[in-house]
Amino acid sequence: MPHVVLSLIVFLPAAGALAIAFTSKDREDFIKLFSLLITIAVFLLTAWLAIPSTGRGEPSTFVVGQSAMQQVFRIPWIPAFDIYYAMGIDGISFPLVLLTSFLSMLAMAASWNIAKHVKGYCILFLLLETGMLGVFMALDFFLFYVFWEVMLLPMYFLIGVWGGPRREYAAIKFFLFTLVGSVLMLVAMLALYFSSDLSKLTPSQQTAARLQPEELRAIAAARSSSTPRPVHTFNMLALAEMGQMKQSPFDTPLLWGKSVQWWAFVLLLIGFIIKVPSVPVHTWLPDAHVEAPTPISMLLAGVLLKMGGYGIIRFCYPMCPDAAYDLAWLVCALGVVSMVYGALAAMAQKDFKRLVAYSSVSHMGYVLLGMGVWTATAGNAFVSDYWKMGMNGAMFQMIAHGLSSAGMFFMVGVLYDRVHHRDLDNFGGMFARMPLYSGLAVGIFFAALGLPGLCGFIGEVLVVLSVWNYDIALAVVSASVVILTAGYILWTIQRVYLGPEYKGPHPEALTPITRREVAVAAPLLAFAILFGVYPQAVFRYMSPSVDRTVSQLARWTKEVKAPRLAGTDALPAPVAIAGPIEPSASALPVAPSASK
Amino acid sequence: MDLAQVLPLLLGLAWLTPLASFAAIVFFGPRMGHAGKGAGYVAIGAIAASAVLSILALIAWLIAHPLGGGHDAAHPVAAIAGEWYPLAVAGELKIAIGYYIDGLTVAMFAMVTVVALCIHVYSLGYMHEELHEVTDPLVTLANGQTLKRRGRFHRFFQYLSLFCFSMLGLVIAGNVAMVFVFWELVGICSYLLIGFYIERKSASNAANKAFIVNRVGDFGMIVGLMALWSGLGTFSFDEIFQQVRPAGHGPAAHGHALTVPDGMVRFAAREEIAAIYQGTPDARQAEHAIREQLPGWRAEGLGYGLLVVAGLGIFCGCVGKSAQFPLHVWLPDAMEGPTPVSALIHAATMVAAGVYLVGRFYPVFTPEVLLVIAVVGCITLFIAATIALTATDIKRVLAYSTVSQLGYMMLALGVGGWVAGLFHLFTHAFFKALLFLCSGSVIHATGTNEMPRMGGLLRKMPWTAGTMLVGCLAIAGAGIPLVIGLSGYYSKDGILAQLYSFAGQNPSYAWLFYVAAGGAALTAFYMFRLWFMTFLGSPRDEHVYAHAHESPRVMVVPLVILAVFAVIAGWNVPGTELGLQPLLEQARPLGTAEGASQGLFLPTLTLPAEHLSHAHEIHVPVTLLAFSVAVAGFLLAAVIYWWRLLDADVISRMFWPVHDFLRNKWWFDELYQFLFVRPVLAGARLAAGIDRVVIDGLAHALAGAVRLFSRFDDWIDRLFVDGAVNATANVTYEAGLRLREIQTGAIRQYVMWVAAGTVGLFVLAMFLWSYTLAGP
Repeated sequence: MPHVVLSLIVFLPAAGALAIAFTSKDREDFIKLFSLLITIAVFLLTAWLAIPSTGRGEPSTFVVGQSAMQQVFRIPWIPAFDIYYAMGIDGISFPLVLLTSFLSMLAMAASWNIAKHVKGYCILFLLLETGMLGVFMALDFFLFYVFWEVMLLPMYFLIGVWGGPRREYAAIKFFLFTLVGSVLMLVAMLALYFSSDLSKLTPSQQTAARLQPEELRAIAAARSSSTPRPVHTFNMLALAEMGQMKQSPFDTPLLWGKSVQWWAFVLLLIGFIIKVPSVPVHTWLPDAHVEAPTPISMLLAGVLLKMGGYGIIRFCYPMCPDAAYDLAWLVCALGVVSMVYGALAAMAQKDFKRLVAYSSVSHMGYVLLGMGVWTATAGNAFVSDYWKMGMNGAMFQMIAHGLSSAGMFFMVGVLYDRVHHRDLDNFGGMFARMPLYSGLAVGIFFAALGLPGLCGFIGEVLVVLSVWNYDIALAVVSASVVILTAGYILWTIQRVYLGPEYKGPHPEALTPITRREVAVAAPLLAFAILFGVYPQAVFRYMSPSVDRTVSQLARWTKEVKAPRLAGTDALPAPVAIAGPIEPSASALPVAPSASK
Repeated sequence: MDLAQVLPLLLGLAWLTPLASFAAIVFFGPRMGHAGKGAGYVAIGAIAASAVLSILALIAWLIAHPLGGGHDAAHPVAAIAGEWYPLAVAGELKIAIGYYIDGLTVAMFAMVTVVALCIHVYSLGYMHEELHEVTDPLVTLANGQTLKRRGRFHRFFQYLSLFCFSMLGLVIAGNVAMVFVFWELVGICSYLLIGFYIERKSASNAANKAFIVNRVGDFGMIVGLMALWSGLGTFSFDEIFQQVRPAGHGPAAHGHALTVPDGMVRFAAREEIAAIYQGTPDARQAEHAIREQLPGWRAEGLGYGLLVVAGLGIFCGCVGKSAQFPLHVWLPDAMEGPTPVSALIHAATMVAAGVYLVGRFYPVFTPEVLLVIAVVGCITLFIAATIALTATDIKRVLAYSTVSQLGYMMLALGVGGWVAGLFHLFTHAFFKALLFLCSGSVIHATGTNEMPRMGGLLRKMPWTAGTMLVGCLAIAGAGIPLVIGLSGYYSKDGILAQLYSFAGQNPSYAWLFYVAAGGAALTAFYMFRLWFMTFLGSPRDEHVYAHAHESPRVMVVPLVILAVFAVIAGWNVPGTELGLQPLLEQARPLGTAEGASQGLFLPTLTLPAEHLSHAHEIHVPVTLLAFSVAVAGFLLAAVIYWWRLLDADVISRMFWPVHDFLRNKWWFDELYQFLFVRPVLAGARLAAGIDRVVIDGLAHALAGAVRLFSRFDDWIDRLFVDGAVNATANVTYEAGLRLREIQTGAIRQYVMWVAAGTVGLFVLAMFLWSYTLAGP
């Protein structure tokens, strides 16, 4: 009964929020405790799902090693527009779901110092969790979009009401940037929807896309009808199947000689890199982080940024492979520029939280780079192993960054709670005053530094090693980031934790770390160590699905793209439009790697 | 039991024991005994267990593969390679945690654990101050007082244990990626221990510098790893060597000549392969065509550049770790750490890891790369030796000496002296650890690093002086020429002999030999300068002298043990061939015994086989030359600092430009500050500025434009849309106002209007009736 389990996971927080709405706002401790219990329950549910299924009968938990989507269900929601309530998990989404429920639990535990409007805070927090979980589990593009927006609003209020002095500016900036992204996403979604045609799918593809009986009837009706009418869909699995067809319905020219999928790719990519965030659309992030309360920063960096990467691997690449192939250099370049630029900007910061925010820009650049390295080209005999490595590295980097950045923001928050400033030049000597705290903090900072034995290393090294086969210059530049990263992290540690004495105001407030704070920080560090030493703990769940995605795209490159590039196969004739066909294969831009 | 099972088990345990100690001290350190004193014993126990296991492994190895009979290239001793668990797998690609065990590994394990054990024991005495509250005179607080802090005894041993684990992991590593993992970990241990006195700004600066400069080297190493990875698809030493040195290939007597692997050729020929795939849709046919073309591509030299890049990149990492020019600047600053750390990490083991890796990776280096290694080593040994001439801080003299000796090792490896270079690594580890511990003993007794404040300490601390003299003699290569000598005598002779042999074959690179020989004189000079200034003459600072005392036994015993090793490490067990040099000879990698094949870019360069340098006509003159230059250096030092026939101050004033240049360490720090640090910081500010001004400026401008437009829109609304509505309203209103005037409230008036209206309507109706309905 996957629909029960997954729905329970997604809507339990929302139900909790509803229950809190009927609670008196004076019972603050109860509300906090109740919210914490809800987040713990959600985490336990997802953790239960992670127990590998035995494989006998209908699997009730995650089947490790299965690459295809699991626990899928599709229930009609708005039949008039072919919209389904459809969810499922695979190796790409499930680790992120786990990360979300884990970080939500820790962030709720980190929310104990919230004193203002506790009731409202908890309600919004739980709604946010519902939105985040829904984004990762949705299998219907429309449902995904709804969850995306559901997540956006609570975030806006959580920053705008509970934030720092410039909270309104930061909240509006965050909202507008993300909204631009979601509007573009909406356009792309509709473009794909109106180009989609379920009746093009072969029977095996129909099975893979989990079409429901009523959809099959619609296909049959469309095929038998004298005037062929396309059967549209929001089904993400079906859209991906269509995108990778030899005669893809998304290859229809749309505007200025570019196809539907080219435009969809560009619009979706802009939407997602705003979320990642990538240079040059990243400036909302430092402001949002600086103003957001600590637990919200943890979620923002730990989970929300991952939605961008998730969107790229789930939507951009499988649905629009042709555009993705042509624009792979753009994705890689954005990644490398973000890595370098973010690291440089981090080095120049004076505000502790801003520095950590810029480090996120730099670290998320690895994600883009790892996804973009399309090495399955003719020159490499269509072998996709290096790309698999890059993609696995990118996905791992998302998990690793989720742990390390959430940890770093929490560590900054611990200090801020005590001395109420974040000026890097006014710290120092923390090791003497708060030894346990400093030990944990330095461990987490080392994880961000990419030190072997901690989680940051694995993702970074896999990504960087995969780049050479794509482009040597990008590879060299991306490797140089290790120097900059070491620079800003070590300099930060020196200014905050080392030195003889604390230089800033309120030295008397620097009390040792509390047990509750240890309970938040220690699990983060523990998992950072576990994943650094034994990354297979993550890869066992993740790799089959990531490898499958890459293998499919590699096969597509070999069977569809290469003939197109060679000119032996013209672009398929647009189906619906009669008359002369504008773009030929030679008019398509060719990626630099393919021209070699 | 099978050696292939026993050795991984023994060495694996020896590797993990210090990790257990580290974990134990992390969690229970402060509660171990009084003020964490037990932590020292835990760490010593762990490293002692490692040492025992390593020596057992060495014995097992020697029993299975007895030395003697020379190196039989036809029946080489195979390494034991395997895998413990995978880190990441992608298709055919795999990165794993594994092991690669041969004679070199076993010998390194024994050396590292024994030296580390000595240094651990020594630290028990050296660090005893940390057992109670420490007053750090070097740190002044804002209120003008000196810092008082809690002792950190357990912390020190915690880091030492972590370091031993990391170093042993680096040695046992079965693949280059794992080397890199532990490469970074020893780097972070070095960072933590250099910055052990976290309150001192100079210490944390030095720690940062060490790590970041090393990262510059690592950047190069990553590039090398990438080139290797994308060409070969494997990091495992075993598989790399099989691909680079295939059996029965090449002109060398027993095969195993350097060959560009298929993967690298294919990588370089991607254009051609793409063309083949485009012409041949069938993958099997295409692969067949590619395989036919491969030998031709290889003959054209495709892929050779990739091999060179891989080699240079890996060497870059070694340049950072082994403090070679131009990345040597971090090591002298690293002396900010406690002296046992300098002895263990920055003399004996970690900095030698770069040399170790060059030795381990030797089969992959092309002649071009080897030449670069030799030249870099040569420059390094010269620069460092000259700076050591004028340094006055006792530890810095030793630090520059270390840099210089590491340069010797690199130089030897670069000219084909595989055994010579690694042999020097081992002997140097013993005598340099000894020298550092002796200097630590002196610092411990006098409370200063500055040699000009010492002098005459021989009477106060005879054990330290004696053992340090042994160290100085060993590093200078003292011995009775052609008969017997200290360990350094053998290893330095080996290096110079190989250089001499190399210079004979390549006259244009003869300068490498002359610089190295001259460097031997400098070595003798600066070492004995140090010893004379410290232990002889009259005390220059009475206060220091009065407080000096011999160190406690826990510190002296390790000195004596290391001194014994410094003497005998070069010897074979009498009557047998059981010794370090034969062991290394046995461990020589396949295909390197016969010298190197010719490089593509440097076809004239010849690397002579190492056994040629043992020939009488090379060995004898080189030994005599080495001895005489060392004596010359010793005599000059004695003339100036012992017999005082010349005044050092007068000389330095006479040659003041040179003296200034050397005192300022060739201005490297200032140069790097100007060339790299400032531009990067400027770039950082630029990036932050672009964010603030350009990107946010654009966003704000956009927001402003939208606001402006909305105001314009508002104005349009008010003027036209609202205007139209309001105008209508106004007209209606006005009409209403006018009409109101007729509403007077007077009934009679209304009746009159009603009557008039009725009449009017009637007239109208009649009028209409007559015209429309009645019609004409």
